[in-house]
Parts: sequence; C-alpha cells; structure tokens
Amino acid sequence: MDIFTTEIIKDSLVALGDEMFNAMVRTSMSPIIYETTDFAVGATDAQGNLLAQGNGVTAFLATLDTAVQSALERFPNEGDIRPGDVIITNSPYLGGGTHLSDVVIILPVFHEDILVAFTVNKAHWTEVGGTEPGSVSTRATEIFQEGLHFKFLKLYDEGRINEALVGIIEANVRLPESTLGDMHAGVAAARVGARRILELIEKYDRPSVLHAMVELLNYGERMTEAELLKLPQGEYEAEGIVEDDGLGNGPFTVRVKVTIGDGKMIADYTGTDGQVAGPINCSYTGLVTGARCLFKAVTDSEIPANGGCFRALEIICPMGTIISAQSPAPVSLYYEPLIAAIDVMWKALAPVMPDRLPAGHQRSVGATFLSGNHPDTGELFVMGEPLVGGWGASEDKDGDSGQFCCANGETFNIPTELFENRYGVQVEQYAFHDADGGAGEYRGGKGVVLDYKITSDVAYLTYAASQTISRPWAMEGGQEGSNNYALILRKDGKVERHHMCTGIAVEKGEVVRLYTGTGGGYGDPKRRPKAQVLSDIKNGYITEKQAADFYFLT
Amino acid sequence: MRAASDVGGTFTDLVYYDYDATSGKSGPVRVAKADTTPPNFEQGVMDSIHKAGLKPAEMTFFAHGSTVIINALTERKGVKTALITTKGFRDVLEIARGNRPDLFNFNFRKPKPFVDRYLRLELDERTTYKGAVQKPVDLSPLSQQLDYLKAEGVEAIAISFLHAYLNSENEQAVVTEINKLWPEVSVLASSEISREWREYERTNTTVLSAYVHPIAQKYIESLESKLAGEGFTEPPYMMQSNGGIATVQSAKDNPISMVESGPASGIFAAAYLGNMIGEKNLVVLDIGGTTAKCALIEDGDVKVTTEYYIEKDAKSPGYPIQTPVSEIVEIGNGGGSIAWIDTGGKLHVGPQSAGAMPGPAAYGRGGTKPTTTDSNLILGRIDKDCFVGGEVVPDMAAVEQAFAPIMAGLGVSLIEAARGVVRIANANMTNALRLVSTNKGYDPRDFALIAFGGGGAMHAVALAEELKIPKVIVPVNSSVFSAWGMLLTDLRRDYLQTHPLLVAPENAHLFADEFQSLKDKAQADYDGDGVDGAAEIVFEYLADLRYVGQEHTVKVTLPLDSAGDIDLAQTIEQFHGVYEKRYSYRLDGAVQLVNFHLIARIEVPKPPLAKKEITGRALSDVILHERVVDFDQHGIHQATVYDGLALEPGMGFDGPAIIQEPSATLVISPGHRASVDGYGNYIIQLDFTEKGA
Repeated sequence: MDIFTTEIIKDSLVALGDEMFNAMVRTSMSPIIYETTDFAVGATDAQGNLLAQGNGVTAFLATLDTAVQSALERFPNEGDIRPGDVIITNSPYLGGGTHLSDVVIILPVFHEDILVAFTVNKAHWTEVGGTEPGSVSTRATEIFQEGLHFKFLKLYDEGRINEALVGIIEANVRLPESTLGDMHAGVAAARVGARRILELIEKYDRPSVLHAMVELLNYGERMTEAELLKLPQGEYEAEGIVEDDGLGNGPFTVRVKVTIGDGKMIADYTGTDGQVAGPINCSYTGLVTGARCLFKAVTDSEIPANGGCFRALEIICPMGTIISAQSPAPVSLYYEPLIAAIDVMWKALAPVMPDRLPAGHQRSVGATFLSGNHPDTGELFVMGEPLVGGWGASEDKDGDSGQFCCANGETFNIPTELFENRYGVQVEQYAFHDADGGAGEYRGGKGVVLDYKITSDVAYLTYAASQTISRPWAMEGGQEGSNNYALILRKDGKVERHHMCTGIAVEKGEVVRLYTGTGGGYGDPKRRPKAQVLSDIKNGYITEKQAADFYFLT
Repeated sequence: MRAASDVGGTFTDLVYYDYDATSGKSGPVRVAKADTTPPNFEQGVMDSIHKAGLKPAEMTFFAHGSTVIINALTERKGVKTALITTKGFRDVLEIARGNRPDLFNFNFRKPKPFVDRYLRLELDERTTYKGAVQKPVDLSPLSQQLDYLKAEGVEAIAISFLHAYLNSENEQAVVTEINKLWPEVSVLASSEISREWREYERTNTTVLSAYVHPIAQKYIESLESKLAGEGFTEPPYMMQSNGGIATVQSAKDNPISMVESGPASGIFAAAYLGNMIGEKNLVVLDIGGTTAKCALIEDGDVKVTTEYYIEKDAKSPGYPIQTPVSEIVEIGNGGGSIAWIDTGGKLHVGPQSAGAMPGPAAYGRGGTKPTTTDSNLILGRIDKDCFVGGEVVPDMAAVEQAFAPIMAGLGVSLIEAARGVVRIANANMTNALRLVSTNKGYDPRDFALIAFGGGGAMHAVALAEELKIPKVIVPVNSSVFSAWGMLLTDLRRDYLQTHPLLVAPENAHLFADEFQSLKDKAQADYDGDGVDGAAEIVFEYLADLRYVGQEHTVKVTLPLDSAGDIDLAQTIEQFHGVYEKRYSYRLDGAVQLVNFHLIARIEVPKPPLAKKEITGRALSDVILHERVVDFDQHGIHQATVYDGLALEPGMGFDGPAIIQEPSATLVISPGHRASVDGYGNYIIQLDFTEKGA
C-alpha cells in the first residue's frame, strides 16, 4: 500500500462527514436540525473509534464514538449486530447520551458480512413526548417526565423496520410527522455515509481501507501531540457557577484543574458539586464532549476531529456530580452545565493561551421555546431556538457580536421572515442592546435583545439560561460582560424577569423580550485609543455615559 | 464579425469569428489575449481588440464578461454605502446568521459587514408576513438622515424592509422620496434585487449591489463609449451569472447579476456544445490557475440557484448573494496550486496558489514552492520544450529544489513526489466532482466529462477514470472556452418570487396568476431595456418545492398540460421523483411551493459554428514527436505526441498519447481512444476493461 493511496482514502473518510451533514440538513423536517443544525454525523471504525465527524455543533463531539462503544457493550457477541440493522438510542447516562431529545441512529456497515465501520448521527428531534411540548422542561424531577427513552434498540432488524417501536413513537409525541421525519432523515444520512465507505472498499479493497482508518487515527494523534508540546506546561485551575436548577436550588459550582505535561492534558473536575434535583444535570458523555471541545480549541482547531486526537486527553470526574449525573436525574437542560464545564477549562487556560482563547462569552444556549396555536390555522406549533450573544475580546481584537455560544457551531438563527410565517408571532426587534459590560482595551462583543409579540390568544414560554447572575469573565483588567435573561412585558405594564421558566402563559399583545450577555473585555479600558472610543460612540456600540464611566473619556 | 471578451485575473481573452450574413457562412474561431488592466478593465478589452486587428465598426455583436464586480467586492473597492432597514433590525446585517463554521476555533471572528453600524439607519414601518402593510413608512426623519449620510460621504444607499419580497410599497415610498431629495445618490431597494425571503440574505445582497452599483455603471458606460468611439454601432451585451446575457441597461440596474459571469458562460457553453454533439448529460470541469470549478448538466439543463456566497469556505460563513447563479462547486486546486506537508506528515495540494507571479517554480521567476504544474513537467506530461506555448524554458533545477522538502519529509524520490502531488490534486478534484454528481444522486456513468480552462485537458482523463465516466470531451479552444461561450448565449432574466403555497388543485389559479404577473414583469423589463419589441420571449416555469414542514427546497421544472397550464398533479409526481433521486427516500406528505421561478429568454440569432477544415493530411503528419511520459498507475510509456492545431476531423488514435496545443495539453493514458469530431473537439472514449487503479 503506497502512502498516497492511503492519504486519498483518509481524505475520503474525512469528506464523508460533510456528505452526511449535507444529506441531514437537506432532508430534515425540523428547524432545530436544518437551521440550528443541532446534530452531528460521522463514522467510526468497527471498534467505535471516531474516524470523521460532520460539522454540526461542537457539543456533540463525544457523542458519536461513545454511542457506538456503548452499543458494542450492549451487543457484545458476534451475530448480535447484523447487516441491515439500525440501532437507536437516546439514553443520557450511557455512551452518546445528552438528553432524551437528542437521538442517536447507528448503522453498522458490513462488507461481505464483515463489520468494517459504523455510520452514526445524533440529532435533536423537535418532540420526544414527556410533560412539556418540545420535551424540554425546567421543572422535571426525574427523567421519566422528559420523554421517550430508547436504550439501544433495533430500529431496523436485518432491513425490517421495527413497526412496534415506530408505533410507540408515533403515539407518544405531539408532532409525530415531524418526529418520524427526523427519524427517516437520520437513517438516510447514515446510509449516505455507509454507501461511501462501501464504495471506497470496492475501489481500493478492504485491507487498504481498514489500514487507512488506522493511519487516520494515528495522524490525528501525531498532529495533536505536536500541538500539545507547544502549549505552556503546568497546572491551571478555575471555577464557575450554574445559577439555578429550575426548582429554585443553586448556585452550583463547577471546578477544574488542568494539567499539561508529558505530552498529555488532564482535566480533573473533582470538587464539582453533586447532581441536582432539577433538570440541569449533565451526564459523563456530556462532560467528555465539553473537555474535548476546549482541548481541540487549544491544540489545533483545524485538524479534522477523530479519535486519535483525543488519546492525549484524560478526563477525571467522580460520578454523580452535576456534570456526571446518574439515573434517574433529569437532564433536559444538560447543555448549560456542559458549557460551564467548557468555560471553566477555558477560563483556566486563557491567561496562558491568549492567542487562542478570548475572554468569557454569553456562555448559555439561552434555549427559548414558544408553543401555541398559529393565529391563521389554529395548528399547534412548537418553536425552539438558541440565542446569539456577545463573545469575549481577545489580546488583539474586539469580541464578536451576536454569535451562538461555544456549544453551538454551524448553527443558524431563524430568519424573522420565516419565523413570522411559521409561527405567526411578530418579531419586533433583533438588535444589539446597550447594557453595561465588556469595556476594555478590546471590547467584548455585543449581546442582543430580541422581542416576540404574541399574536394568537395565548402562547407558552419555556426559557432556560445560565450566567443570569454571574457575568462573562474579563481578562487583563477588562470589564465583565452582562447577563442573560428574559422579560415578559405584560399588557398592564408590569414587567416580569425570568431565568428559568416552563410553560408561562403570555397573552395576545404581550411581548417576550430576551436579553443575551455582552462578552467580557480584555485589558484596561483606559488603554483603548480615544479615536476608537469616539468611533464606538458614533457606531452606538457604547453610550456617551459608558464612555465617561468606563473609558474616562473627557 | 462577432466577438466576445472575458476579463480574467491575469488575461483578457477575446474570441471572434467572421460571419457573412448574405452567405450565412461563419469563419474559423480566432483568439487574442491582452493583459488585464485594473482598475480600468475596459482598456484591456480595447487592447485585445486592437491586438486582434478588429475594427469595432465591423462588429455586429459584442458580448462582454468581466470580473469587475467580484473584484470590487473581494478587494473592498466599492463605494461608501449606507443601509436603511425596518426599525429594530439594523443589526441583522452584523448578526448575520450567528453561525461559526470554524467550530473549534474559539478565537473566531465573523466577516465584517459591508456597512458600518453608524451608516445603518432605521425607519418606522411594517409589512406583515402576509404582505399587508401594517404600518406605512414614516418618512419624516428621512430628510435629516439623508443630510447626515451626505455629510458622511455616502455614495450609495440600500433599503431593505421586512417582507418587502411580498410587498414593496414601503420600500418604494422611500426610494421615491430619496430620488426627490437627493437625486445624485445611488439607491437600491431589496425588492428590486431579490424577491426571496430571509432578511439577512436579501439585505446583504442589496447592500453588496449598492456597494458596486456606481462602479458598474461607470465601467459599463466607459466601455460603451470606448467601443462607440471606435465605431461600434450596436449596444454591447453583458454576461450574467445566470448564463444569459443582459442589455447594458439591465446590467447597470442590477449589477450584482454579473458577479459570477465567467464560470457561468463556460458552463452554459458546455451545455450548448453538448446539445450540438448529442451529449446532454455532462459533468463540467473548468480548471484554472488557482481553482477548479465543477457543475452538472442534466438533460441539457444547467441548474441555477440563488444560494450563492462569496468568500465562504470551511472556516468562514462568507457573504450570501441571493442572485441567480449557475450551481457550481469551486475548490482551491488549479495548475498553480502549491503542494506542502503539514506537521503530521500529510501531503496537501492547495488552496494556496503560486498565481501568475511568481508562478510555478519552473517559470524561473523566483517561485520556490512546488506546484501541480511543476509535477506535470517532472512526469513528462507537459512538454519541457514547449512550456507555456514555447515561451519559457523550464527551470528544472528550481523545480527540484522546490520539491526537496517533500522528498525529505516523505522519504520519496522526485518522481514519486510528483506522482503524489498529481494524485492528491486529482483526489481533491474528484471529491469536488462527487459533490455535484454522486452526492446529489447522479451516477457518473450516465454522463460525459467536459473539461476546459488552462488545466482541464491535463487532468480530465485521470478524473474520468476515478469516477468511471466513460467519455471525455475537451472542446476546441478549451483554454478560452468561457469567452467562446458568450457568443452562444441568449438574453435571459430570472424571476424568483417567494410565495409559500400548497401544491394542490384548488390553488391552480394562484399558480397561473403568479406566473402571469412575473411574465408581465418580464415583458415590461425587456420593453424598458430597449429590446426589440418584436422579439419573442420564451418562458420556462420552475419552482422551489419542499414537503410541508421542511425548510430546504429542490428545484423542479414545472410540466405543462395540453392547454399550456401548469399540471399540478404531474408537478407533485415530478417533485417526488427529483426528491427521491437526491435524498434516497420519499414521503407521503403534502408538497409546498416556496419560490416561483420564471426564466424569460430572448433568443439571440447565432450563426452555425464552422466545422474544422479537412485537408486530408495523414495522421503521421501531425505527430510532433514521441517522449517518455509517466502515467502513474498506468506505468511509464513512450507516448506519441500530436499537434492539436493540425489534427483533423475523423482522426483517431489510442493512448498512451498526448495532444499538444500552445495553451493546453491533453493527456491520454494507455487503453483509451481519442478522436477528433467535425468541429475539432477531442473525444476520448475510456476503456474500463483493464482496471485502472
């Protein structure tokens, strides 16, 4: 086998992630998949080592390979997994697990009856049943309230679809057409990947492709090792909080000690608070994902992610914490502690890696759900979307304004024109706000204010954010950012503030106003050149009062 | 005399041929090249005309394609532009879609908007998603706003209001008022540029249009006056990204429609040529110095999309432009692409290119990096004695030096390194070709590969082998094929209108009404352009359809029934078929139309192309020489090298062979058969009986 052929097979394996990604975006029924791209696709080798992953969100980085690894534990004997099988799982506490809404589809790829790979996708289905529309709750106390739970079931058995399972799904979700559409899209995307792997084997032969898989993993390991050696060796610590579990408990602390040395990075989360009563728990898979994200950000973010890249990362955390929760902890808001886990590692390392890591950002998905009936058709809608906010400044640049948080990625906001058509709700503004925060030699990016005016008789708001009291952290003497929160502007003129709420009725003509945080600043604001401050005033990025108060502009 | 000029990054190509209207006979196609002359591109055009010895007074037709728009955008050389939006939405341009394609880069910055925040103003107004004006626009602050913009030195204003794709009333009120208060400034409303929803995309498109509007006007006017000054009496036509040409008036009104005119004309020329020679299913490949562009033509039909971006790549969301552009995939792989090894020991080719300056190492102009062209020289595929048309003696010492790091890094010989570079470059292009074919449900075996551009002929056969495409077509004049294509196009306007609507019999009248109003608009626009009133407009009816509940659409050509009305039952069937082909499954769900799409074409009379002359000379007379060529997996062979210019229709021969022209080299590996058709195109039949790899 010559080196260039191996290279070409490796590239084809990496390209497969993108091909599956496109198939998934194009076929999905749910805006949360096709606009938010709240999904990941990819392939593993026959042992569950990640070969390639398609762009979706960062927060699914450890969910494909660990899902396959758990599937192999669930089906350990030869013949347990057969050609034509498709496995489905959404179990939070096992491999691939996040919350029940994120469903994993695993397709074993056989060549001449020999298992050569798995193609996998994990996607956020709009509805998996449970107490609340959209299957996300801020007040669940057990996982049983959060929807249907599939624990490594065969969705297809040797090519035959499991009608009983499909029937159960259909009867237990609020929007069966959309949910089953998501399911079919997931299988279709997995098949696209499987077809490509078989084409490669037909072209080059099986040993060559299997050899290229091994080489691909080794390449990821080599590239990462080289990057690790460039990083400042040592021990770094940080902590942060998750404010509220939805039931009024909190705040909860997430702690980390990062050690870089001997060609390894160890992220030790010992000391993090225990799992909580409300649904703001994250499973161990989520934690692995979080640590991998930051690890990737400081090694080389350009190396295609594969299992080899993460061999040098060790993650330590006792079970039963808010980031390693055990059954039957409710987990629907798992992503908030997951982001906190990323953020503490980020905060620990940023001071020594300012070229790769900016100051703190809005640090919350800010997931917002509205459900109600469309004013034109009376049909039920369930709208779910993440919010954009401000990112932190870095050592040589202002932060970005109006971007999704670090757990997202190729995530798109829903255009107002589509939003209004689909939900009937009127969007009244989508703009930067001028709350205090983020001042610095380099300015934190702006957070956003977004107004939804309800036009049907009543709609119900579910909202969950963190960093509602704590603020995006600053660096080198910059100013902290601002908070995430939601307001309801009532008809009688009253204004309610929410950080965590489920199913709050909002009536016709009332407005839901969502604020997202401005990112943290970098460096002493006094060092910002006066011309720059004047330009900020002219552009409305800061007010004259802020210029006087924080930049001492006279 | 009919002529077309294509302004490229380095050269301005001119293609022309004689046409005798009385005899109806056309002469052979001729070519001239001049240097491109930024920023006064029209000078290069005139230079090429002079170089060819053409007299504009004798020209009956002149079409022109130019990179002036894309250059103004990518080099940020447009005018100072302001934006007026619906109150509460001026930051949409900066928020964009909030995405971060460079997933794990936490120090990411998104592209800066083309209008700074202090030039983004708002007016109080509102149209609903049903197209009703909820609040007429309050114009009272406008006069003061214009004074402010004037004082800031603004030269163009874009206006973009929510739901203006459905109802342009409020936007038009602002345009009218600005024309009254400040007639000198360029004003463009989103509803004039795009009638599709998605406010960020439409707003950005309008902003970019406004940004280049005065420049495009100036450029076109100066070209017109230079041509007229030398006696050209006809109006020139401008090439657009949708594969058609436009009158100068239409191009000045909507200059963004010219943003990708170069690639478009090549793709449409491929469709035209394919139609002429009976090849209606084509995979199109255009390899230049820096990039390769791929497209697919199914049954003679070039796909045109409005999901187009500039500066978008794996790391950047780029800038969307909602204008009809032929659907292409472009990758950073061309003749000048640089090969390099990363820290993990992996060989890459591109996307960096040595460009024209310093160019590949072999040029001897100080290039120190190994390129694809250098590799082809090492392998004997490019003739060392006829490099760059014989104008350059390749500096092989510089080539060897340039390859030294790869040879050392991978522990391979020079030949092995060169093979590796070509193989990786081919693999990159194969992946791009796959994106337009297999990834969309097409089987390459049902297609022919048509390859052009400076590097098309060099790689075509190897790529066809990879994809199992049975036939390769390298058109005559392949290196100036895009310019040639402009002589073959028609006037074309595309009209897209977002209007979400269930595809159901009870909506048949709405379909008819919407298409009628688009047809009326087309007629009015052509009338306004000063197109001959007697010219017949040919219409094509398309729609972007989806299953209810999905977001992304597929484009379907709408079938007509015997009465000439849209056949909705047949439309649904067709949609299911197209959808299943692309995505491997179909649903039972209802089908919804999102965009109406009308193509309005006016045919430009085109004289038949001249056939290549047959003098009856023997094949042995057109052999230049024999030389050793490395065909990689096919081995090293003594290959016969033919003089492309002297080859005559009807001639045929087997590989290993090379067809050499001054600006193109066609590599034919062993086993495949090449022939020359009546027009001088090269046709290569691939033989797959012996496994290539």
